[in-house]
Amino acid sequence: MKQTKKEFRIFLITDYEKEGEYLSLRHSQGWKFVKVVFPGIYYFEKCTPEDVVYQLDYNQDGLSNKDEYVQLFQDCGWEYLMDFFGYSYFRKSRAAMDGDEQIFCDEESRLEMLQRVFQGRMLPLCIILFGVFIPQLLSVIGEPRNDMTIILILYSILFLIYLFVFVTFAVRYRQLKSHSKR
Amino acid sequence: MDAHIKKVYVPMTETSFYILLCLREDMHGYGIVQKVEKLTDKNVILSPGTMYGSLGKMEKDGLIRFVREDEKRKIYHITELGQEVLALEIRRIKRLYRNVEEVLG
Repeated sequence: MKQTKKEFRIFLITDYEKEGEYLSLRHSQGWKFVKVVFPGIYYFEKCTPEDVVYQLDYNQDGLSNKDEYVQLFQDCGWEYLMDFFGYSYFRKSRAAMDGDEQIFCDEESRLEMLQRVFQGRMLPLCIILFGVFIPQLLSVIGEPRNDMTIILILYSILFLIYLFVFVTFAVRYRQLKSHSKR
Repeated sequence: MDAHIKKVYVPMTETSFYILLCLREDMHGYGIVQKVEKLTDKNVILSPGTMYGSLGKMEKDGLIRFVREDEKRKIYHITELGQEVLALEIRRIKRLYRNVEEVLG
């Protein structure tokens, strides 16, 4: 039987590149990615260490035309692994590449992917933030009671995480925008 | 041609340019990747994520149209609007080339 292991990792919505790098690192250490399940448990199996590039795409149109979408990646030598919360996972061995290959070949399409992530994942979060969290937070602040302190602290932490995700998103967006030719 | 199309596609990315250039014949995404590899002697290798996104966007904008499907591969062809945009872009690139010759030649 193959030796396997599990690891727990949390990646922010905008950290899809870091997630790919993490999977590449594990593969180069002899742990081949098998799957990821909620809330962020990564399954690996023992393999010969190899330099393999892992990349994530976020494309809802691709998911609804799965056959053609996956076929194009496979034709280009990218193995399709799985989908997880709208992200599709691909890998390609560096030995099979001519130089440095990625699933996107220009900054414009990287920016478009970030925009798709924003529309698909960040907008719903914004709606929850402004429609639920902030009104709740205000009502808790409005009527201070001792037993509410813990809720206030929890909300504040959530709010800070939100803020952090938004800031990283904005920074990434600006970086890509300035590299893009227009 | 409306202003939006002109703004988005002139100038256009290398991927978009090669898509329009190749789609004067019926072709699928991977066919374009292979043709460009050959044309550029492997200097330009188009990536599947970029190719998939560009084809979808250009179909939506009416520059190319879906013709038929062949073994899970969508085959496209350039439209009249696509030809107009390509002609504009070719004119721009020719001007660039002429200017290079004038300044450095």
